[in-house]
Parts: sequence; structure tokens; C-alpha cells
Amino acid sequence: MLLKVNEVSKTFTGHQALDKVSLEVPRGSIYGLLGPNGAGKTTLIRIITHITAPDSGTVLFDGHPLTAADTTSIGYLPEERGLYKKMKVGEQAMFFARLKGLSKRDAEQRLRAWFDHFGISDWWNKKVSELSKGMAQKVQFIVTVLHEPKLLIFDEPFSGFDPLNAQLLKDEILRLRDNGATIIFSTHNMSSVEEICDSFTLINKSHNILSGRVTDVKHEFAQGRYDFTIQGDTTKLIPALMPMVESHSFLDMDNGRTRLSVKLLPEVALHDAIAAVNNNSTLVGFSENLPTMNDIFISAVNKANQQ
Amino acid sequence: MSHSVTSIIIRREYMERVTKKSFIVTTILVPILMLVLALLPTAIMLFATGDTKTIAVVDDSGLILPNLQSTDDVKFIDAWAPQDQMLSNDSIYGVLVIDRNIIKRNSGLKLLTPNAASVNIEAEITGQVEKIIETEKLKAYDIENLDEILSEINTDVTLQTIRTDESGEEGESQSAAISSAIGTILNFVLYMFLLMYGSLVMNSIIEEKNNRVLEIVVSSINPRSLMLGKIVGVGLVALTQIAIWAIIMFGITTLLLPSLIPADVMAEAQSINSGTADMASVAMDSDIAMALGMFTNVGFVMKIMGLMLLFLIGGYLIYASIFAAIGASVDNIQDASQLQTIGIIPIFIGLFSSLAVIADPNSTFAMVMSLIPFTSPMVMMARVPFDVPGWQIWLSLALLYLTIIFMIWLAAKIYRIGIFMYGKKPTFKDLIRWARYK
Repeated sequence: MLLKVNEVSKTFTGHQALDKVSLEVPRGSIYGLLGPNGAGKTTLIRIITHITAPDSGTVLFDGHPLTAADTTSIGYLPEERGLYKKMKVGEQAMFFARLKGLSKRDAEQRLRAWFDHFGISDWWNKKVSELSKGMAQKVQFIVTVLHEPKLLIFDEPFSGFDPLNAQLLKDEILRLRDNGATIIFSTHNMSSVEEICDSFTLINKSHNILSGRVTDVKHEFAQGRYDFTIQGDTTKLIPALMPMVESHSFLDMDNGRTRLSVKLLPEVALHDAIAAVNNNSTLVGFSENLPTMNDIFISAVNKANQQ
Repeated sequence: MSHSVTSIIIRREYMERVTKKSFIVTTILVPILMLVLALLPTAIMLFATGDTKTIAVVDDSGLILPNLQSTDDVKFIDAWAPQDQMLSNDSIYGVLVIDRNIIKRNSGLKLLTPNAASVNIEAEITGQVEKIIETEKLKAYDIENLDEILSEINTDVTLQTIRTDESGEEGESQSAAISSAIGTILNFVLYMFLLMYGSLVMNSIIEEKNNRVLEIVVSSINPRSLMLGKIVGVGLVALTQIAIWAIIMFGITTLLLPSLIPADVMAEAQSINSGTADMASVAMDSDIAMALGMFTNVGFVMKIMGLMLLFLIGGYLIYASIFAAIGASVDNIQDASQLQTIGIIPIFIGLFSSLAVIADPNSTFAMVMSLIPFTSPMVMMARVPFDVPGWQIWLSLALLYLTIIFMIWLAAKIYRIGIFMYGKKPTFKDLIRWARYK
């Protein structure tokens, strides 16, 4: 584990931002930090980046308690992005690189390489105020990853990017992971979580309500949901299958097929259900119906809020 | 590590401001402007003189004209023709008509002139005529040895000049007027710098918070170092500006002034410095002589400059930390206006106290205000040109710098919390509460 957050709590005046939140981020993984607005994600990130201290609980980074010196091993791209407007792009990038402890030579060398890589070398002497939002975000991304930190934290990294640049960024993030970086990825965009996250944690109202590997959680949330694709007549099927399911729905497909989605009763074995369908209709397709991260997010948060 | 990181912050703050066009322009323009303002009266005087005005006198009393003395400005001549003719003559500025009974009546003095009235000429005429009438009146008393008495009265006139010099203590010549002038100037410079650079720190923090650069910066450096870096960086900008101004001023006083001032005047100034001058024997206006003496006295100038630097840095650090705390607490400049008064009011109290203190530099009020850290920089600098006991200066400095440590500590606590507070206009109470957080 690169990062271990153990029972961290933080209270602001009259408002508990985090209540005994724990999570473990495996080394070399992309870790999703999810949750509704105001759940406490930003506070947690600020604790991990050593910007604020927790009231109680511990943060272990790379096996030792997090210290100020670790900030040079962490790169953070906040959701609300900002650069000094009156500074030149190159100067500014140098400033942030030097803040992260890079020598002047190293900083310049690496920056030039990244600027080349992104094809933005001619921005070096431009003022930040001349850049578009997307352009400024590219610069900011470079500044975040430049010192090759062990841990990268991206808060909504794709917002403000066109699809082309979002893809470019996604590829970069995956490449960084492949090169050994560990990435915490905070977002509301559930499809991007599905695409790139290995594990995640879901925080709601200052509590950690769900964590685990994306695939494990999906299977856990599937809970007997299956899709059958049936050719032709389905009239015989219904009475045969009905006692086995909690709920079902039909969807007519245009080539004479029907998609039947069911949720099996807990005590029903899967092979019995398949047999029942197979015996009473022409079964041409079968798959487990895995919930999307979006479904999981909504049902987990709703469930937590009802309690 | 945090030291080198702080130096990166300082460097950025410094470079961003020093390379700004507005900084370069004001740094160069202000001394030039001040120089122009200082030289303007002299220049005007130079151009205004050299033009001697001739006044024809019609003296019916017969007593005044023989005693009127022509000066550089006015030349008195006996009118050789009737009034109208004299007035139509272009070389005659005006006709002075003196009544036959002027000595008894104290009136009957008329200046007829086609030109605009001139205060200088009026003053010259009335001054001379008054003296003559006085003398004539005295003569009417038939006093024995009148000439001797008159010469004694004349001695009294010289004694009056010495009287103003009596405020100088122990042979060290000093002029209250000059000291007040220096005190006032120092005071305004301090006032300007504290307010200007204090709010510069505030605005820069607000801007950083506003455009969210702050979040990235504090993920690399702790907020206290960032705040200190900012205060020091902006402070160095202020020092740079002052240094440039000081060099320009120094250049003017050591190179330009001596070459502009005639050698005998300089010699007199020097003798005032060494305390050997008998003020009665100094030919020029005693205030000007005194000013020259003070400005060419290296020890005095160094003392003033040194103390000014110490109080300026001290005052800046106190107010910069106040303004930093305010800047960190608000989202935008509009919200800052209310809290800003916390910083502005003591500066104004300092300014207005100083003006009172200059009038009476050794009062208890003056002493107290020059010891209280928030007003001490300005009030003490207003007093320093007058002699202030050394222990008071040192005590004032010690109190000031101790308070700075406390204020920076306090500001850092508020800053640390304030920079993450968005969307709420904080009150003074909030600031106090944030300062109490662990």
C-alpha cells in the first residue's frame, strides 16, 4: 500500500467534514475517490496532501506517517485551477517545479520535454492570461506531474477539456500509472471511473460508505441480475420463470428478438433459471447484468441516506 | 527545505513586482517630481528677480523720500514731473504719493500704478515707510543721545534673530521649523509606504486566493512560509524602491547641492555643523543656513536614515501581517473594505498623532504614542529630528519588534484557516476565532 488513511476525522466549526474515514490505496493503481458534492472529498485530499491536519486518525505514506517532506512526492491537481495570470507560462511552470524541490536545470529540462510532448513549446513566453481554459489546464497538468511524484491526485481532471484533449490526458494518466505512479482520481464522471479506476472509495456525508475493486463491487451489486436474449415467442416462458424472479422486464428488439432482464430471487440457483428459460423458449444469448458505476453510486448513496 | 522554498516564494513575489512597468515608472518619476517641486520656488524666484521696479515718489512731507532705500526689487526716485506724466512713462512702475501729514496721521500713503498689485512691493514700501515714521516719531520726543538709543534698538533687531536659535540645545544648532519639516516628510513617507505596501500584500493574497493558485502552492509549502515569503518579498520591493530613491537623493545632496551652493554659503553651513558658527554673524537667512547645516551633516543624516529604515521595516512588518490576515480571510477586494479598517485606523491614528507631536515633541502624549508599537514608527520618526532621549528610541524599537513576532504569529494562524474559507464574508469575530484554532 502506498497510502493508508486510518480513521481520519476532521471537524470545522460546527460541521464534521470527515468521520473516521479509512482507505487503502494500492501502489501502482488508479484509485477513484467518489462521492456527492460536499461529502468531504476535498477535505480528505487536503489532509493527504498535507495542506490541513486531521483532528484524529493517521495517514501513512509509503509506510511512514505523512510529513511535510512528503509533499515533494505528491502531485496535486485541484478541481478549481489557477495560475498567476500575469506571469509567463514558462516562468510560472518553473516556479511550481522549483517549489516541488526540482533544481533549476532539472526543472527546465523536464518542462521543455513535456512542452514538446504536448506540442505547446511556443507557449513558453506567453502570458497565462492569453491562454484558453483548456490550454491553461494542460500547463497545470504538466506542473502537477513534472516532479514525478509517487502519488498523484487529480480532482476532476477532465473538466474543461474537449474530447480530444480528454483522451490525450487519459492516455497520459494511464502511462503514468504504468510507469509506477499511484493515482487518486476524484470525479463525478462515473463512466471515466469505469474506464480507468482499479479501485475506489465512495464517501457520503463524511463517511466512507463503500470501497473495493471496481470489478468486485460490480459483481457484488449485480445480485442475481441477468439478461436473456430470446428468439421468437415468449408466451410460454412467463409462467415458467415467474416463481423464480423478484422482478423482470421485457424489451422488444427489432430483429424479432426480445431482451428479458430479470432479478432472481436469492434462493434460486442460476442453472435452474437458465434451464427454465431454455426449456420454454429459444435462448440465443445470456449475460450477467453488471450495474454501471453510476447505478452503484446512486443506489449506495440513496441507501446510505435512508439509514 | 522550507527555507529554500520560502526563498522561491520571495523571489517570485519580488520579481513579479520589480519588473512591472508601473513600479519602474513610479520609482523613477517620483524623485524627479519631488526634485521639480523642490526646485520650482527657487526657479520662480530666479526668473522673478532681476526685474527692478522703479517707483517715482511724490513726497509732500519731505521726510520719507530721503530715507527710502532702493533694493534689488524696488528703486525709489524723486518724481521729476506731475503724476500723470510719470504714470504714462513705461519705465516707471508706479507713483508713490506721500501725504504731508503722514507722520501724524499714520495714513496718506498711496501707490498709483497701471500694473497689477504686487504683494512684494507693497510689503517693501510699507515696511520701509513704517520704520521711517517710527524713527521720526522717536525724534519728536527730543530724547538725548537718540542715535545711541536707536542703534540699541537696532541691536534688538539682531537679537531677535538669535532668539529663534535658542531652541538649539548645548551648542548644537537646531531649528524647530526645519525639524518639523523633516518630521512631517518622514511621517508622510512612512504613512504612504505602510498603507501602499500593506495593501499590496493584502491584494496579492486576495488575488491568489481568488484565482485558486493558493491551493497548488500550499500543497508544496506550508501556509506560514507562504505568508512570510509574500510579506518579505513585497517588503524587499519597498526597500528596493526606497534604496533607489535614497541613492538619487544622496546623489543630489552630495553632488548636486554643493556645486549649486556658493562656497562661502557651504562654509557657513559647515561651521553651523561644527557648532562654531555665531548665528548672528551668519549672513543668510538663519533657517536656510540651519537646513543646509542639517542636510550636509553626515552624522545627522545617517542617524535619521538608519532609524527611518528600522522603523519602516518594523512598521511594514506589523501592518503587512495585519493586511495579510485580512487578505486571507476574504474572497474579494470588496469584502475586504470593512476589515481593512483594522489596519487603516491605527495608521491614521499614527499620522494624526504625529502631526500633533511635531508641534510639541516632548509631551507625554508624544512619548506614549512613540512607544505604542502600532503608532510608534510614525510618531517616533516625527520626533527624531528633534532630540529624543536614546532610551526612548531603543525601548520603542524593542517593543515594536517584539510585537512584530506576535503579530506574524497571529496573522499566520488566521491566514492558515482563512485561505480555505470561501463564500462567507468574515467578521472581526471570525478572525479572532480562527486565531484561536489549534
